[in-house]
Amino acid sequence: MRTFEFFAVKDSHDAVAVLAKHSVSSKVRVIAGGTDLLAELKFSPQSPNVVVDISRAEDLKSITLTDDGLSIGAVVTHSQIMQSPIIREMFPALANAAHVIGAVQTRNLGTLGGNLVTAVPSMDGGPTLMALEAIISIAGPDGRRQVPLNEFFVGPRKTVLKADELLAEIIIPRRNLGKPTHFLKFGLRKGQALALVNAAASFWVDWEKHTFVAPRIALGAVAPKVIRALQAEAYLEGREITPEAMAEAGRIAIGDAKPISDFRASAGYRRNLVGVLTKRALEGAYALAQAKR
Amino acid sequence: MVTVTINVNGEKRTASVPPETTLLRLLRDDFNLTGSKLGCDVGDCGACTVIVDGKAVNSCLMLAAQADGRDVLTIEGLATMDRLHPIQKAFEKYASLQCGFCGPGVIMSAKALLDENPDPTVQEIRDALGGNLCRCTGYVKMIEAIQDAARILRDEPVEINR
Repeated sequence: MRTFEFFAVKDSHDAVAVLAKHSVSSKVRVIAGGTDLLAELKFSPQSPNVVVDISRAEDLKSITLTDDGLSIGAVVTHSQIMQSPIIREMFPALANAAHVIGAVQTRNLGTLGGNLVTAVPSMDGGPTLMALEAIISIAGPDGRRQVPLNEFFVGPRKTVLKADELLAEIIIPRRNLGKPTHFLKFGLRKGQALALVNAAASFWVDWEKHTFVAPRIALGAVAPKVIRALQAEAYLEGREITPEAMAEAGRIAIGDAKPISDFRASAGYRRNLVGVLTKRALEGAYALAQAKR
Repeated sequence: MVTVTINVNGEKRTASVPPETTLLRLLRDDFNLTGSKLGCDVGDCGACTVIVDGKAVNSCLMLAAQADGRDVLTIEGLATMDRLHPIQKAFEKYASLQCGFCGPGVIMSAKALLDENPDPTVQEIRDALGGNLCRCTGYVKMIEAIQDAARILRDEPVEINR
């Protein structure tokens, strides 16, 4: 690793000030858990001149209910998400997704904010948040701006964050609090494996008509970024909840996905997985809806 | 250079290191605590596992500066001159290691697990060892040793094996 100037900041204002000062003339990277960044810096030819450590930023550490919804600070670790009573109660899918990221050691360091900023298409933190229509709160020189998560990702390892900006908060909007959601990952091993495909499904149930309301399906590792399966969602909206409808939504979701072949799996195998995981994620969300009824 | 002070194995130690120094390098090169191993250096193998503020972490993925002011426990902090820690003792009894390179990391993962969960299931032990690669043993004897150590730590929390 080549050397750099190191700044440890006490909060997000401090971080933004350091970014503003150095991002014009230097290549600056933000470090939180470091599980992705350090692995990258050790092997990447493009080293930053300045590294800003936000892992101790006091205002980015909490999981709280606000007027906007459920706010998760950028440096909340995957382990903290797994253990958070409010997340386990409202969004078990989010806790389950955190549990399949890396291993204990990486979950204790790695942060949800970092998982999103790294923007790897196979990230396990993304699909559940995408299905819950999460909003990203970005801190910059002019204050905060909000971007829907599905507009936050630009491509593999690319987001809308500018050099002087910082992912500060992840907000699950109030209208989706407690929305039944299910996440599934298919990897080649149980531990430390990247997803071949991952999927999250979320919907409310109109129990009188027994229909899907506001169905949302998100898929990872099947496109340059985490995507919504919009055609499958449109098919389900207002439709009666049946096993056949869920299976058909899975088939339609295959058309929403654009997977590639690589050394982990072929595109065809991934397409099959999209169908199966979408159906099972819908079934899981429905089971949760029934349990919560 | 950054000045880093950590409480390592109960002893406060300070070093001035380049900012890119990882916690692992600080422990090994500056503090001569070479029990934690440099394996993959990217967080896959777990040979560098240490416990920071009660949590098992890959010391190769943490900058030394990020550990400033924190409590760090390494494999050197477990045994005393008189006796091994019950987890180490159990690993010896069950012959849980072969080449031993992964051992310090595995034992620190087990220690962090048993500190939080004194009576883990086999699945919970497997989950706790998910980030520790061993190419010799197949893990079975490690899991047996951790179960045995858990029993000993539960029944006789102090003054064991004297």
